[in-house]
Amino acid sequence: MDLNADRSGAYDVGFRENEERTAMATAASNTTQQDQTSCKVFRRLDPAALTPDSIHRLVVGEDTSLRVLTQTEATVELGDPFATMLLLRGTFPRTAGEVLAAFEQLTGTDDPPKGPMFFLVGDGSQIPVTPETVDLARNMRFLVTLGNGPEGADVLFSSFQPEEGNVELMAWDRATGGFNYYQTVGESSAWVFAGNSRHALVEPSEGEGPFESHPSGNFIMKELRSPWINWHSPAAPIMPSAFSDDDPLRNHPWVAGKEPSGAITLETSVARPGIERWTRARFAAIVANGGQINRPERIIRQILTSPAINLISSHNVSANAASSDTVELPQTFFVDSSLTDIAGLAPPPPFAVPGEIYTQSLQTFDVKLTDGAKFVQPGDTHFAFVVPERAFEDQAVLAEAARVGLVTLRLAACLLMVDFPNPIFSTRRRGLLAHVPSSATLADGAGAFSDAFADAIVAAATEPGTPERDFADRWTLKDGWKESFDAELAAYFTAVTDRLTTQAGFDDYFRLAESRRDRVRTMPIAESPLLFASTNIPPTPRTMTANGTVQEG
Amino acid sequence: MPNLLHTPASLRDLDDTGHQAWNDRVVAICEPYFTDHPQFLDPLAEQMTGATAAPVTWLAFPARLLLGVTTDEQRWRRADSNRSEQDEYCEWAVQRDPDGLITQITFTTEVPEYWKLIAQHDPGKLLELYRDLVDPVCTEPELFRDGVYVPGNVRNRSTEGRPAHMIQTTNTLGAAVDLVARATVLRERADGRPIVDQQSLVTCSKLGNRFRHSDPQIAAAINNQAATGAQVSFQDPVGLYIDRIITTGMACPDGADPAEFWKVERGDAERAVRASYSVPADRGYRVGDITLAGRPIMFGAQLADRVHVRVTALTKPAGFTPQRFPCIA
Repeated sequence: MDLNADRSGAYDVGFRENEERTAMATAASNTTQQDQTSCKVFRRLDPAALTPDSIHRLVVGEDTSLRVLTQTEATVELGDPFATMLLLRGTFPRTAGEVLAAFEQLTGTDDPPKGPMFFLVGDGSQIPVTPETVDLARNMRFLVTLGNGPEGADVLFSSFQPEEGNVELMAWDRATGGFNYYQTVGESSAWVFAGNSRHALVEPSEGEGPFESHPSGNFIMKELRSPWINWHSPAAPIMPSAFSDDDPLRNHPWVAGKEPSGAITLETSVARPGIERWTRARFAAIVANGGQINRPERIIRQILTSPAINLISSHNVSANAASSDTVELPQTFFVDSSLTDIAGLAPPPPFAVPGEIYTQSLQTFDVKLTDGAKFVQPGDTHFAFVVPERAFEDQAVLAEAARVGLVTLRLAACLLMVDFPNPIFSTRRRGLLAHVPSSATLADGAGAFSDAFADAIVAAATEPGTPERDFADRWTLKDGWKESFDAELAAYFTAVTDRLTTQAGFDDYFRLAESRRDRVRTMPIAESPLLFASTNIPPTPRTMTANGTVQEG
Repeated sequence: MPNLLHTPASLRDLDDTGHQAWNDRVVAICEPYFTDHPQFLDPLAEQMTGATAAPVTWLAFPARLLLGVTTDEQRWRRADSNRSEQDEYCEWAVQRDPDGLITQITFTTEVPEYWKLIAQHDPGKLLELYRDLVDPVCTEPELFRDGVYVPGNVRNRSTEGRPAHMIQTTNTLGAAVDLVARATVLRERADGRPIVDQQSLVTCSKLGNRFRHSDPQIAAAINNQAATGAQVSFQDPVGLYIDRIITTGMACPDGADPAEFWKVERGDAERAVRASYSVPADRGYRVGDITLAGRPIMFGAQLADRVHVRVTALTKPAGFTPQRFPCIA
């Protein structure tokens, strides 16, 4: 059982069943089953069904209906500064602007979270407003953070318009750890508590409500690394020209006062520290629970599969590609950086494609940016070649699993080397989940889990060509594993580098990239058609091979 | 005193004559651009009275080094390897103890033009500054060759120790002035579409390296203002400044606030041109014992990831109707 599955543990102090359910409200009845179990359920809530100036609870999967928390219940369950400093004191802001104002009105003796920092993001934010693009849905939205301390922000909230409702808010629970997720509905002054990060990891709330798009309970910054294609950043600033002249946001103080370095600061000061904070808390709870992990599969899944992804792109602006000698390509398209960063293998070389080859591929595949309505712009996204990469939140889990001794670096390397040319969405690596032991115990920073897991895979490695056999062949290398894996990867990198010099080779990689984008398009984080450019490439699964070729189907 | 441009951060290294010489030096750097770039003005020009400050900030870590690397350690190591890699108008050097642990990281945005002028005007003051800021045992022969000051001298060319001022060839006031002045020129593609994105602008106008943090961002901000018909200039005191350091994600062994150990050495909090990060001896630990995102600080570049650099332009609405030009061949 995973740390969160056992609700009797100290970690779950706020999760005791409470019989004093004093108020009930029902979610809107006119919803499909899928809507009931996804984040959409919050958007479908009828503001009239909510009790103003109250804290409601709807942890989808766990709660069968929306209910109002009593002061006692809320006090026990909610230990974050938003709850303790505002909601539990009777302050119920309706808008993002009111949330900020309410925090700013707190006195120094309250030790309110400091800040704020304002960040701006928008799909297609690099497309200026012209008569042809004036109706384009750029979905400009704000992220505001407060309490920006060494471990990241304590309070984060986002909104399309500072003066409107439908605010989404996360706040770090100082009592139990993890982020508490809140939401307002319409202009109502009621707030809905939608769960804590730990609900992302346990049934029946796992994958439900906000945890459909926050699968590990973490803050999401899709474009986590430079050049952060949609966030305001030095590499791609959101200029006033991205707003129409009559847009009230154009001169809004939150736009004028946005963090000058934008996404750089968000990445280094909010996203990464916040993800690491929750990951540390998650594993600390395991250790505090005597090291007993009753469901290690929940952790290993984040190593072997791709429950979340980040997006990465070239640093080249696609419009300049034709005049560029080369277009740099993200290395993590070709290989999982965990193999270097965590397992300690040799780093890959830089990968790049000649500008003329990249430009020809854009023509061959009829690449265009479109909102699915009137807006059509030939060519790729602002930065070239946006592709998914292994999510930082999953890398953080692997790093922490290694640090606490659940997974040895050798095991991690052997697992990730299975189907290494496909760093994400690997069906072959996913198959190894079948062999994860049902429980694990950590003691003094070590445990028998790695050997037990490896033994189970090796025992199943009866057929050649299976992922189990791939694993077993590498696992038996013992002390020489690093040199051997480095040599395998070096041969692969050479093959890829060679193929990047040919049109046919890069066309194959472009098709492969599109099949990975197709996977992302089915994920909840794909909220806009502008996330990727569209192409004429048939939606077929494709995989990379160790000799640098791409297989269809 | 007549109305003179201030020294960077209003530093008081020069007497009145030296101050006048600095003013003349800055004017001499700017003047060649005035004729061909009518939207770029002298900071002290009467037309700039009442102008709005438009700060542009970027990171000290060289963005060029983000290309083609998978690991942070790869890029940190390269940035720490040579001052010539540090091309974002900010340079740094690292001091270590005998165990190899970092004890101090010093950042500077001081332009070489200013130090050359000190050397010319008051060599004794130059040596005093080196002894105060770099090493007490610096000697004059180390700094001068044939009576001429050498910016990249033996005391100021390493990534180890303490830097005096910037030496990377493009980290100069002249380069910044050239960038800002020429960024007032609007450009268009061959098909007549205006060029507004940073990389295209930098490439089209040949304004530096399109993969840097600094050049493209400064160029785009100025160009955006110029497109509105505004006049632009630099805010006095003209210079590159260390804007701030972000210490989120850093953790000290004793739980201290890591921001405590950041010290502005030249200038002030608003206009810092030299700052360092070190732990007081009575704390019992070193910079290398502090972690950043869970990893010990082993490179100066780890902090350069969090140090912000700033140049402040002045902008004022004006009636220019700028023309767009094709790219420079």
